[in-house]
Amino acid sequence: MSREPYHELKARQRIAAIADTDSFREILPPPERLMSTYLPQLGIPVSFDDGLAIGHATIGGTPVYLAAQVGQFVGGSVGEVHSAKLVGLVKSAARDRIPCVLLVESGGVRLHEGSSGEIGIAEAIRAVFACREAGVTTIAVIGSDIGAYGGMGILSSCCDFRVMTEHGRIGISGPIVIEKWMGKNVYDSSDRGLVWKISGGKTRFILGDAEVLVDESAGAVRDGILSLLGKSAPLDAAALSARQTALEQRVEKFGTATHPDEIWAAAGITDVAIATLDTAEDFKATLPKTAP
Amino acid sequence: MEKIQKSFPSKPIHWPASRQWALAGVVGSGNLEVLIEPTPSSPDSVEVVIETSIAGYEDSWLAAIEHFATHYAVGGTLITIHDQGAVPVVIMMRLRQALSHLTNP
Amino acid sequence: MSTDELFAKFFGDSASRIEVVDNIATGYASVGGQEVCVIGTVDGTFINNAAALRLARHVMECTKSKPGLPIVMLVDSAGQEPNRTAEMLGLAAYFAHLLSCLEFARRSGHKLVTVATGKAIGGAFICYGMFADAIYALDTASVGLMPVEAMSAVTKIPVATLQELSTRMPALEFGAAPFALLGGVKEVWPTTADLVQKLSDAIRTASSEDDRAATGKERGGRLLAFDVQQRVLAESSR
Repeated sequence: MSREPYHELKARQRIAAIADTDSFREILPPPERLMSTYLPQLGIPVSFDDGLAIGHATIGGTPVYLAAQVGQFVGGSVGEVHSAKLVGLVKSAARDRIPCVLLVESGGVRLHEGSSGEIGIAEAIRAVFACREAGVTTIAVIGSDIGAYGGMGILSSCCDFRVMTEHGRIGISGPIVIEKWMGKNVYDSSDRGLVWKISGGKTRFILGDAEVLVDESAGAVRDGILSLLGKSAPLDAAALSARQTALEQRVEKFGTATHPDEIWAAAGITDVAIATLDTAEDFKATLPKTAP
Repeated sequence: MEKIQKSFPSKPIHWPASRQWALAGVVGSGNLEVLIEPTPSSPDSVEVVIETSIAGYEDSWLAAIEHFATHYAVGGTLITIHDQGAVPVVIMMRLRQALSHLTNP
Repeated sequence: MSTDELFAKFFGDSASRIEVVDNIATGYASVGGQEVCVIGTVDGTFINNAAALRLARHVMECTKSKPGLPIVMLVDSAGQEPNRTAEMLGLAAYFAHLLSCLEFARRSGHKLVTVATGKAIGGAFICYGMFADAIYALDTASVGLMPVEAMSAVTKIPVATLQELSTRMPALEFGAAPFALLGGVKEVWPTTADLVQKLSDAIRTASSEDDRAATGKERGGRLLAFDVQQRVLAESSR
């Protein structure tokens, strides 16, 4: 199972592949029937878990709180129950001083549930920072085709760390929205290569938005998570000042770049075509040690 | 949305002591999720509850479930389905998967 | 109401100390005699990478040079403009940085109070305003995820259906009042109220505990969120 590409696994399969064998104990599992009260009124089928499986597990023997979003269910979007489960899980992690690992696969707030999912995500972001204040590791794993968008893109970016595969994307506006707004000649949402280069794991890794980039297997994702458990990303004046400078320089250097290949070239990649096709490990090996 | 609910006779299931439920599938376009739970008080029949976004296929659903109940020992269970337009082949596959998840998690 | 008029209502003459560049407001001002730090968006502007940086820079400057000063966050933003370069640069990371700076300010003892004065929509609200200790909105504010017309265009659910549902489900209704029912804002202030008093009281009573779910349950706008959160917390400790 750990050999299958992570992005092809379903949420519960990802949990099974990443957690130690038989270690996952689901909290409020499907028989509890905590389902959306909005979707039935819109003629849309509900899901027993409202698109989020949460629970205890161990990874490499370390207890973690683990959640996986179900991308196929309304695009992995976050409604009232879904967000409440997420908030409860992250708050449990803060309370128990146990690392929190989120397997993200979401387009963001569930439109069908309006502002309830929006407020829920805002609460979840507060809970993530409560974990960080307590020195509890928070990790967002982004390795699916749906990626982490909108409010979930923001939440993922607020965690201590992000583990990404080249398949994962982090963004705020989705490709179709950008195309509609800017026109197809500026942004063609059907150009997968471009979409993934703009928002995908490799570019995020080069820019320092993803601390860990791993190959496609669930085993590699698990190893990536293992390398981060117990660690924290500092949130002090020095760290924030450094980040401010880095983000300002990023705008300065690449704000007028016409293509992400310019970012890759600036990072020291001499053969962009090959690097585009490289596995994550080979890609990382071609990068010089200094960040752009 | 259409709701279909019916019981079918079926040979009693050997429900594994360590499990409380099993799930297969996902609610998405052309797909369905199937939850199977024990109902020890009715060992000779399986109760099925289906909520589907595609109305008008009750006969097809009942035929599929009857086939399943006849060929597999699922007496003493409640099977609950959330469907978003799965075809019969997929329905049968998910039912079998749910059973398989029960015995080989 | 113009930006100047709005600022005057909260800050009186001290509003002149607030700088507005590209519709991003930063500065210090006085609320009924109490010095505060001010950050915000005006005129329904879009919020992008540079805007997030500008706001973050001022928050950090405030923590360095004005210990303990309450930070007033004003929100009048239409959200993020869908933009290829913004996404390439990693807009999500910029928003997270702004939130991290606000978190640092909170931990350093600065109270965070938000007033949604105009548009307070989705990502623009989440990336700073909704992070406050206490969140308020003027009754004229456009608060929410999106109007039903836009929701209909994306979900393909007819406008009439959504409109009918929104009369029974405040989560689908766009506006400050329904958002308050869900616990998203503590209170809605009429623009005719004594806003200096309202804001002063808001700052005084602000607490860093996030009680939005409990409020949503109490007011009937979100009937499940609080209970589900509590159940998860209870089950996880078993």
